[in-house]
Amino acid sequence: MSESNTPAVRTEGIWKVFQQEAEEIQAVRDVSLTVERGEFTAIAGPSGSGKTTLLNLIGGLTRPTRGRVWVAGQEVSEMSNQQLAQLRLDQVGFVFQAFNLLPVLTAMENAEFPMLLQGVAADERAARIDELFKRTGMSGLEDRRPGKLSGGQQQRVAVVRAVASRPALVLADEPTANLDSATSEALLDVMLELNRDLGVTFVFATHDARVMGRSRRLVQMVDGRIDSDETRA
Amino acid sequence: MHARTIVVLAMRNLRRQMRRTMLTAAVMVIGGALLIFAFALSDGTHEQWIDSGIRTSTGHVTIEQPEFRTSRRIENRLATDLRRKTEHALASPEIAGQVVAVSSRLSISALASSAAGARPAQILAVDPVAEARFSTLDDQLVEGRYLEPDDRLAAYIGVGLASSLELRLGSRLVVQAEDTEHEIAAQLLRVVGIFRNGVPEVDQAVVHIPLQTAGEWLGSHHDVTNVGVVLTGSTAVAAVTAHLERALVDPIARGDARVMGWREANPALAAAIAIDSFGNYLMFGILFIIIAFGIVNTILMSVLHRHREFGVLQALGLTPGQTGTIVLVEGLTLTAVSGFIGVSLGLLATWYFFGDGLDMSALMGEDMTFSGVVIDPVMVPQFRLVRIAQILTFILCIGAVASIYPALRAAKIDIAESMKFER
Repeated sequence: MSESNTPAVRTEGIWKVFQQEAEEIQAVRDVSLTVERGEFTAIAGPSGSGKTTLLNLIGGLTRPTRGRVWVAGQEVSEMSNQQLAQLRLDQVGFVFQAFNLLPVLTAMENAEFPMLLQGVAADERAARIDELFKRTGMSGLEDRRPGKLSGGQQQRVAVVRAVASRPALVLADEPTANLDSATSEALLDVMLELNRDLGVTFVFATHDARVMGRSRRLVQMVDGRIDSDETRA
Repeated sequence: MHARTIVVLAMRNLRRQMRRTMLTAAVMVIGGALLIFAFALSDGTHEQWIDSGIRTSTGHVTIEQPEFRTSRRIENRLATDLRRKTEHALASPEIAGQVVAVSSRLSISALASSAAGARPAQILAVDPVAEARFSTLDDQLVEGRYLEPDDRLAAYIGVGLASSLELRLGSRLVVQAEDTEHEIAAQLLRVVGIFRNGVPEVDQAVVHIPLQTAGEWLGSHHDVTNVGVVLTGSTAVAAVTAHLERALVDPIARGDARVMGWREANPALAAAIAIDSFGNYLMFGILFIIIAFGIVNTILMSVLHRHREFGVLQALGLTPGQTGTIVLVEGLTLTAVSGFIGVSLGLLATWYFFGDGLDMSALMGEDMTFSGVVIDPVMVPQFRLVRIAQILTFILCIGAVASIYPALRAAKIDIAESMKFER
């Protein structure tokens, strides 16, 4: 992780408006939010509340209609596609609801993919993957393709992939939505451990009570706005 | 590192949809093989046409007095010293490997007559030894023999003329033509051989006589109306023409000589080959447009099925350009590998089945001719490296062009939208 004192994320009055035929949909409305490094934050809310769109805006997957976003101190809003790709590569890790591993790569190759793009040396890649696979209980499954892994195992590989490139933050969009209770709990244990031991910043979009219950900060969204922002001890 | 990662992803994606990949590859393989097969036969056939046409006319390259081609008059001839200079230039080591035969000839229009009547004739006065290497007429003997170096009043005539004038071996005929003094001069000849070429204009008009006899008859001595050159193939024409134009720069500048390739000397044959080639290009152009649509379809379907994956790749840090490059590499690899296999199979099949020629005589009948060319019913394929390179390049271009649109689609995806895809 970067040793910088800048927040992992800062948004300032961001809006995201979609035009759907004649209708204008305000998915995110005037959201200002700061996430410090090392946080374990959940953005919660019902379907359509704008939490996934907010995550996409923070991760540079889409651009705000208005307002500004900083990730690790870099302003995202005005970046070119090339710069956004570099930002995502170096500063943001993603964990998706549908796991989204690349089916043509093995678990090991999926996990090291961002590091390959970063140009991390082979031995360094191997060392990081080895450590993270041990922490996540995935040792011995390195050569399996995603199709040969369970949902929980796939999501663990996705978490390793997101963390191994040492980003400023990991954005996880409904990471437990496709998992059963036990697997969800186990995955949360893994992510909490990575947060505690390695200082990885996690921001979740979720409506899973388990995730909300174990997060240290809970941001509630309703109709595209932040309704409440609660930090727990 | 990015390049290797992109190539690995592209290769594995091709393997992933093996059936679809193999089906598209099969179409490319068949297309490539057909292309090689058809062009090898076509190139071989065209070379036969050229060889047939040029050997009964003025060769791959001809050196003439500039006005002779339109006037056909004896006064527009190459003087003996210019003829010698031309023959000397053709003996140069620089082009010797490309020159198969050189024949210096005096070609004049004449009237041939016998007791049975008179017919217009095309007298070709030749050195019998040089002409035997140049022309195929000596091989088309029906009766008697071809001219020999010691012949004096010998005539070698076609079956058409022999029939019209009721001539047989040993028969006498008289030929009359304008001499160098613009007087009508007659020469008595005796038939020593009769040929059958198949081209009616040749069989009814061409008469070969010794060059020495013509020189004495017409007062042209050792002068000729053209020096014809047969080369190893039509591809050597440009180099030999350029060499001759350098060697004969002064006579050419004075207007005493002109160097022509077979296309210029035989425009009807050149046009026939161009039309035939155009037909081939058109047919295979259409075939490959259809194949290109097949490739576009295969790769585009693959891209559409992987919409979410391309979103993931870009979310992980791949740029739109790199994402599009994966698709381009897939398309190019597919076409390059299948194109190479297709070309190899095409060469092998053509060589195995038709190395000695494809006999079409059952379909063509006898003596199909055009533009002074007798079409050989046995089509012998010709393999040319340039043609193989052209076909491989063409296939690769088709692959590249067909991959561009799918690659753009992959590059320009909306990452956030693609994540919703198939969810």
